[in-house]
Amino acid sequence: MNTSGNLSAENRINVIQGDFYVSDDRGLVLSTVLGSCIAICLYDPAIEAGGMNHFLLAEPGGNSEIDPLKQRLYGAFAMEQLVNEMIKRGASRSTMKAHIYGGSNINRAMAHIGSSNANFARDFLRQDGIPISLEDTGGSSARRLDLKPATGQIRCKHIPTEDVPSSALPIMRPAERTRVGDVELF
Amino acid sequence: MGPITILTVDDSPSMRALLKHALVGQGHVVHDAEDGVIALDWLNRHIPDLVITDINMPNMDGFGLIEALRKQDRYRDMPILVLSTESSDEKKVRARDAGATGWIVKPFDPDKLAAAVRRVTH
Repeated sequence: MNTSGNLSAENRINVIQGDFYVSDDRGLVLSTVLGSCIAICLYDPAIEAGGMNHFLLAEPGGNSEIDPLKQRLYGAFAMEQLVNEMIKRGASRSTMKAHIYGGSNINRAMAHIGSSNANFARDFLRQDGIPISLEDTGGSSARRLDLKPATGQIRCKHIPTEDVPSSALPIMRPAERTRVGDVELF
Repeated sequence: MGPITILTVDDSPSMRALLKHALVGQGHVVHDAEDGVIALDWLNRHIPDLVITDINMPNMDGFGLIEALRKQDRYRDMPILVLSTESSDEKKVRARDAGATGWIVKPFDPDKLAAAVRRVTH
């Protein structure tokens, strides 16, 4: 995986919060805008395919804070979806390379949320044996991220938080947007 | 409900750690394996009360593990729960036909998981 200043594309897919995408399409660019959210970019040169996810673990502190175990379970789910899709296409944990982006602490209400998101992503990748080749996290600015999944080329541009469109601002309580733990007995 | 012995099978070390944390916290004894082949090897030497397995794994996936266990007399009736990021009806039917007892969609809820474990082991 390498960083690049200019990524042209025939097609562009916006990877929104809670989503992920994997492809080997040479004409495709995956894009997202990150504040306190995290995006993991994976690329495996052995299959010339890559992918991106975009997730937020935690909501701001206070009485409504989600159980830390449930936060980690949600993060693990976001990571596992991306890793599984790469493995289905023939990637392996040892040959994949990961970049971590995002996790800004963009305002007082979100204090430390970005850092905890970045810490979770770093710990997950290390525990799962996926090498981290670049990390650009923290700070107080937002990031605009583009990935060419077929080549692993990445462009990450820091942008003022004021320039982040409202549609790209993080949505709180991710666990409530996901059908958690549905059980079906046969 | 007293403690039971559970084998968890998942290729993600992070997921195995989270699952173990939740199940040990519920009072159970937990062993784990990273794929179906390693699970079968362990199951040749031990008999747990329950197996919880992922589907997408290298070497032997969850479907292969369930089919291999159901061919053995001692595992014909043991509960086997699938825990997967997948939720398609096609995969659920395949798991049911292979002999799975139930299907739990990740991210799992620790309370729902505890309730499912109680139901299938009593």
